[in-house]
Amino acid sequence: MASVRGGGGDIKAFYRQRKKNNNTKPSKPSKSGVRLDSDPAQPPALLSHGSIDIKRDFDQCEEVLRRFDMNMSYGPCIGLTRLERWERANKLGMNPPKDVETLLKGGNAGLDCLWEGRV
Amino acid sequence: MDIDAESLSLIQRKQSLYVSQDERFLLGLQKYKGQQYSHIYFFRLYKMREQFRSLINHQHPNLPVHTVLGLEVGKQCIIVGTLYKQMKLKPSVLDEYSKERSAVPLVKPHNFLHPDDHLILEDESGRVKLIGDVVKPSDYVTGVVLAVHGEETSDGDFLVHKIVEAGLPPQIKIPQEAKEDKYVAFVSGLSVGSIKSNPLQIQLLVDLLTGHLGDDKEQNVASQITRIVIAGNSVELQQGLLAGQSLASKDQSKLSEPIKEFDLLLTQLAAAMPVDIMPGPHDPANYSLPQQPLHKCLFPGASAYNTFVSSPNPHSFYLDDVGFLGTSGQNIDDLAKYSEAKEKLDFMERTLRWRHLAPTAPDTLGCYPFTDRDPFVVESCPHVYFVGNQNKYGTQLLKGSEGQLARLISIPRFCETGVAVMLNLRNLECHPLSFSCET
Repeated sequence: MASVRGGGGDIKAFYRQRKKNNNTKPSKPSKSGVRLDSDPAQPPALLSHGSIDIKRDFDQCEEVLRRFDMNMSYGPCIGLTRLERWERANKLGMNPPKDVETLLKGGNAGLDCLWEGRV
Repeated sequence: MDIDAESLSLIQRKQSLYVSQDERFLLGLQKYKGQQYSHIYFFRLYKMREQFRSLINHQHPNLPVHTVLGLEVGKQCIIVGTLYKQMKLKPSVLDEYSKERSAVPLVKPHNFLHPDDHLILEDESGRVKLIGDVVKPSDYVTGVVLAVHGEETSDGDFLVHKIVEAGLPPQIKIPQEAKEDKYVAFVSGLSVGSIKSNPLQIQLLVDLLTGHLGDDKEQNVASQITRIVIAGNSVELQQGLLAGQSLASKDQSKLSEPIKEFDLLLTQLAAAMPVDIMPGPHDPANYSLPQQPLHKCLFPGASAYNTFVSSPNPHSFYLDDVGFLGTSGQNIDDLAKYSEAKEKLDFMERTLRWRHLAPTAPDTLGCYPFTDRDPFVVESCPHVYFVGNQNKYGTQLLKGSEGQLARLISIPRFCETGVAVMLNLRNLECHPLSFSCET
């Protein structure tokens, strides 16, 4: 593949053109059925904003924010940033939890909702 | 021949205080970020549920209000939700893929009703089919928020005993009775540039409104007209030229001829009195509701006057404390396709009783996907509700349960009927103005 120099270093990680494993030969499954290398037929792991999103130890802030996203009474969460959705709920008088607001305005938390970019 | 200066008397045109209420229809600098329509439906249900809460407490204080998932068989309750009308004949984009292309001609019927249509009530938790004789699917459309009183059957459907309608929204009373007659003129469907329109007829209208026609008595009446509202379809551009190829310069000037002609008329009007112009389905404005105001550069002559107001569609304003709300007809025409009533005025009455201008938006009527509001919810009842581009002139005075009064006006297409409408602000009475020039 043609390599493009310049500021596009991140792009290669984002739009991965070759699997991480670099196995060019498809490996045959062993008799016992256990696969030790990655199978080319399987798609690469779910990429979210450039990094593999399997880590289970997202912090508690994210947990609170995700619960805010999933709460039905504040309306749909897709298509808005979390702060916009909080402001909207506030304006309608729904009394959304204050700690969500402090987390969002604090700057450390993810501003986009859970499904952003994935749906 | 000298003109005797003393015998000329200047008749002053009356004026009315105009306050625009159009902020909720304007998109401003909003950018489309890829959002979907779910937010509009969320807002609609939320706002209407709030309004229903007090109504239900008033009328049925003993009945519990449940969500759809919380229904129990045999237990009477009230549920509030958005209607979805399952229509057999509703055109679906998937039909292109399922049917054989040659067999069925894609003829658009005027009305998509079918006896098998049924209604489904939906809220955030689930949906349930509405059955019962009380519910007539032909009267309702998708997108109306209703409260229904009934019970769940063993089949899982909801048997409706009574429909709790929102009714006319609360109205701010006009503070004081006006002492003198002041009129507002309405016209729509001028269609300048189309074959149907008669330039002489339109010029007659402009001359009468500006006071250049008639004797002193006529001019006196014309001086009492404080505003003219043009409710859509003012120009008709030649669609054949817009075939997708780049336009030759000769075609370009042909395309803009109707707008230039219309600008000349507007300039005459704007020089004489305040003019509100609304875009319509055929005007050079965006397609989806709310249509944004026509751009000033289209009217270089008229926009120089400060009496010229380019308004969005729908349009809402106060004139001397009388509340006006109106559209260029798309909402009512869409209702006519998906439901039935004896007259167009019935559709208008229904939209007010449902407290929603365009319930079929965004389902079958194009609409901008707002995330922070549903601009078509009618929160305060207007005194005058007008709809343009209809087949014929009609008017009705609606009375609400709390003393609300609303004058409904159906403005006919001027190019076909030659009829404009005059409304008296003092007593909300309405009469047509017909123009005809038989050659």
